[in-house]
Amino acid sequence: MKFSLKLFLWTISIVAATLAVGGYYIVNSMFQTSLARETKQVMDESGIIRFGFEISALNIPYKYEHLQDQDIARIAQRLDTGGENRYVRICGEDSVPLYASEGFPTGSVSIKGDMDQGFEDGGSAKELAYRIIPIDRRYYIQTAATLGIIDRSLSLETLTDITNVFTEREAGFSIYRRVCIVILICEGIIIFMSSYWLTRPVRFLSVAAKKMAKGNYGARAKKISSDELGSLTQDFNEMAMSLEENVYQLQEAARAQEEFVGVFAHELKTPLTAIIGYADMMRSQKLEEEKLLLSADYIYQEGRRLEKLSFNLLDLIVLKRTEKPTGTFHTKAIFEYIRDTFSKFDVNLRIQYEECEVYGEMSLIKTMVANLVDNAVKVSEPSGLVEVTGTASDSRYTFTIHDCGCGIPPEHLSRLTEAFYMVDKSRSRSRHGAGLGLTLCAEIARLHGTDLTIVSVVGMGTTVSFNLEVLNNE
Amino acid sequence: MGLVDMMKILIVEDEKAIRELIDMQLTLAGYDCQTAEDGVIGANLIEANSFDLILLDIMLPGVSGFELMDYIRPTKTPVIFITAKHEVSDRVKGLRLGADDYLVKPFDMVELLARVEAVLRRYHKAESVMEIEGVTIDFDAYRADKNGHKLELTAKEFGLLSLFVHNKNIALYRDMIYERVWESDFDGDSRTVDLHVQRLRKKLGWEHCLVTVFKVGYRLEVPK
Repeated sequence: MKFSLKLFLWTISIVAATLAVGGYYIVNSMFQTSLARETKQVMDESGIIRFGFEISALNIPYKYEHLQDQDIARIAQRLDTGGENRYVRICGEDSVPLYASEGFPTGSVSIKGDMDQGFEDGGSAKELAYRIIPIDRRYYIQTAATLGIIDRSLSLETLTDITNVFTEREAGFSIYRRVCIVILICEGIIIFMSSYWLTRPVRFLSVAAKKMAKGNYGARAKKISSDELGSLTQDFNEMAMSLEENVYQLQEAARAQEEFVGVFAHELKTPLTAIIGYADMMRSQKLEEEKLLLSADYIYQEGRRLEKLSFNLLDLIVLKRTEKPTGTFHTKAIFEYIRDTFSKFDVNLRIQYEECEVYGEMSLIKTMVANLVDNAVKVSEPSGLVEVTGTASDSRYTFTIHDCGCGIPPEHLSRLTEAFYMVDKSRSRSRHGAGLGLTLCAEIARLHGTDLTIVSVVGMGTTVSFNLEVLNNE
Repeated sequence: MGLVDMMKILIVEDEKAIRELIDMQLTLAGYDCQTAEDGVIGANLIEANSFDLILLDIMLPGVSGFELMDYIRPTKTPVIFITAKHEVSDRVKGLRLGADDYLVKPFDMVELLARVEAVLRRYHKAESVMEIEGVTIDFDAYRADKNGHKLELTAKEFGLLSLFVHNKNIALYRDMIYERVWESDFDGDSRTVDLHVQRLRKKLGWEHCLVTVFKVGYRLEVPK
């Protein structure tokens, strides 16, 4: 069942129950009040009649030894002037009626017998008692009293029609029911609309959640209130945002992985094709010596390329699983190694450095600097300037490798460290490049908590730098 | 050999090693080859010359192989794509663009020659009838005659004959022969190949030219 419907049903039932109980109580208490008033009046009247009868009976001269039946009737007739609604009856011994008002409802039960037992609803005295009885769909208050007349045992009964009190109650209920229905209808419309309006945020949330379940991660719920539901909407939207981000990252990672595999397959297949092809040709055909040597050379070169590719890949895999290095080393060793390694190349190598002890894994930094210098040498003209500098400032030691080569077009800069990415494919191929050198360097830098900063101007040269933490001796 | 000598093939491939490999192999097989190292040079050569077949690498710097197809299509020159990708989508794209066949790296020499031969024959640029060492072979009719008499050859024997005549003067290894003709992986039992080659040799009377290469396989030796 819908929440708004539940809210509606609950509210409406509570209102209806409250109205019913309250209304019943009010109408009923009004009824009780009028009934009590009527009763009191009837009792009073009954008392007056009794008193009047007794006085009249005393005033009758004693002709006989006891009061005659016709005298009783006469007195009663005189006293019975109370109006249409009241009937009087006087019974003698053996419950024989001696007088009854005109229209005294027949079929009414004689009260004599009951009087001896006492009435249910009042009057314990044998002198005066009353009860409320329905006769022929009308309600009466019946009173009974013993008349204290000498020699005679008489009883006085009055019967007063109080149907109007009951009719009023019925009318009260009926009006109240109608009022209730009108109130409930109005209330119902208002509650239904307000519960629908209050649960709007929930419906928005539900729509957004369904959209997200279908894969539309950009779906958001509209925030329309500032209450708990509003903050729930906000929380939901924040969750959706971080979810979307995660999904995007996962997709990116999957795409990068796929691309890596594709490029890797290509990089692997090219040398393999050459090796297999040349070897196949050499084994199946008698080749001239020149072609034989050429083929063997291709096999060798492509084999070397595969070797470099596999070692670089292995390094990358190992690096990805290596913890951050905690060792230290002197920077002098790096620069001296670079000087030794690259002095035989045809470049103007200028090395300048401050001696310092820094945090890092020396073999990795050596690989990284050698890679960067190798790149610089490759792009340099013969006898071109390649500067390798090391400067310490505050707590960081900065390595900078600068060349005056062709530079890198800006559109390539962001992708330089991607695996197998080559700016000039044929040029790096001719030097057994596999496009993994900078990827490796970036990985080593990441491991040491630093970044490769590459600044390049086309035609002017490229500067690559990174920094390491200086060991504090103090 | 006739027409085959004059077949002109253009090789567009950016990897020098592979470009020269294909060049060398096709030249040895008797084709007239020209090479281009990128799409632009390839397009220029296509405009200036007419070729019987173009071998085209898909991943080219600058103009890609797919783009180069726009230049090639009007000339109605058959094209074989060279690709490193095994993805079906790439092959389908190549074939849909009008390529006649594709060659997946790495490939061996026999496969290269077979595909080139097949495409050329489809375009009726290669002869469907060949005469060699007194034997006339009709590839379309699957029939071989010697001195006007029809030779009774089984399907496998005809396959063997076809393989040898398309790879003249090339040493064919037993495993390779088996994989080509029987079209399943070689299990190391070389007697099947030997048996069939001996029967074929006898039927054709080629004891002198279909020679055994020691420990390796067989070679059809014909004067160049």
